[in-house]
Amino acid sequence: MAKNFIDLEELLKRTENDRELMRDLLTIFQEEFRQRHQALREAVESQNATQVVVEAHALKGMLSNLAAVEAATAIAELERLGRNNETSRFLESFSHFGAIAKELSRQVEAFMAEVSG
Amino acid sequence: MRILIADDELMSRRLLEKTMQRAGYDVTAIANGQLAAAELCKPEGPRLALLDWIMPELDGPGVCREVRKRKGQSYVYMILLTSKERKEDVVAGLESGADDHLTKPFDPEELKARLRTGKRILDLEDRLIEAREEMRFQATHDALTSLWNRGVIMDLLGRELTRARRENKCTAILLGDLDHFKNINNTFGHLAGDEVLRETARRLVSSVRSYDFVGRFGGEEFLVYAEQIAIQHSVWHEPRRFVKPSPRAQWKLRQVPYQFP
Repeated sequence: MAKNFIDLEELLKRTENDRELMRDLLTIFQEEFRQRHQALREAVESQNATQVVVEAHALKGMLSNLAAVEAATAIAELERLGRNNETSRFLESFSHFGAIAKELSRQVEAFMAEVSG
Repeated sequence: MRILIADDELMSRRLLEKTMQRAGYDVTAIANGQLAAAELCKPEGPRLALLDWIMPELDGPGVCREVRKRKGQSYVYMILLTSKERKEDVVAGLESGADDHLTKPFDPEELKARLRTGKRILDLEDRLIEAREEMRFQATHDALTSLWNRGVIMDLLGRELTRARRENKCTAILLGDLDHFKNINNTFGHLAGDEVLRETARRLVSSVRSYDFVGRFGGEEFLVYAEQIAIQHSVWHEPRRFVKPSPRAQWKLRQVPYQFP
């Protein structure tokens, strides 16, 4: 059984069991995540620490709101590396985050279908 | 109650907006610190605010500093929302003028409880202002007639006469008393006498213009100051008209008809 990257219980608590709000949040996430992820990739590839911090911070906020704790922790590490200007570790950290993000996106899609249905 | 939410991150903003609406707040949601500060600095702006720390143009602490610069306006209770958990960040946030600090992601119940604390503080401020205004009124007005009291009217008179002299304007000062007032008290009792004084005050106030002033000089004596009054005005010739809108005016004192002297 695949690991659950969204803490559904926590998300329900935060949205006070409001399915419409949950649908809204998932829609916003789907629309914004891809864009932010791409911007982060570009910042990492160009070793732009300032931009890594900006993008990682924004993604951390989104992931925290979604109760995606593991993904939020992974991106927080990349944000920390950016703040410390540890550019040599960017790719490794981004790759770790990417793996989580891929599965998370799949789960968000499935969850979205469930909430909408 | 109105609340302002300032957060540039759309998911957070939407989550906060819905949580606050469900809790009964009238929400204004903004994505930019500069706009948030402008909204909070309006005289009738929201008095509760949830501010994200990191925002474009002006961050949360910057918004707090802008709002705290205002003078003479109602207090705004501000909570900073942030993922910053370090003690020095919390201190910096509070030092900027924030009232409280909440770490993201927030728990809806905790957030609502903290806002209730803010609302209690705002209610307390409202009660203090109300009490201050009441005390100010009591210190400047006559308790029986609600006209300006002697101290205030003498002060106003001094200032207005200086101004009239400086601007070379004609003004009217009427100092009058109620004839045979003692008889009213003796015949109908002191409560009836009080009612006569109150009615006289009402008539005087309704007789003058909104920018003239009327005060109780003492006992049954009243003073009226009417500024910039033309020399031909009837006040110079028929000053009693100020007190008696209709000749031989009459009204009932506790079911006893009383005729104005």
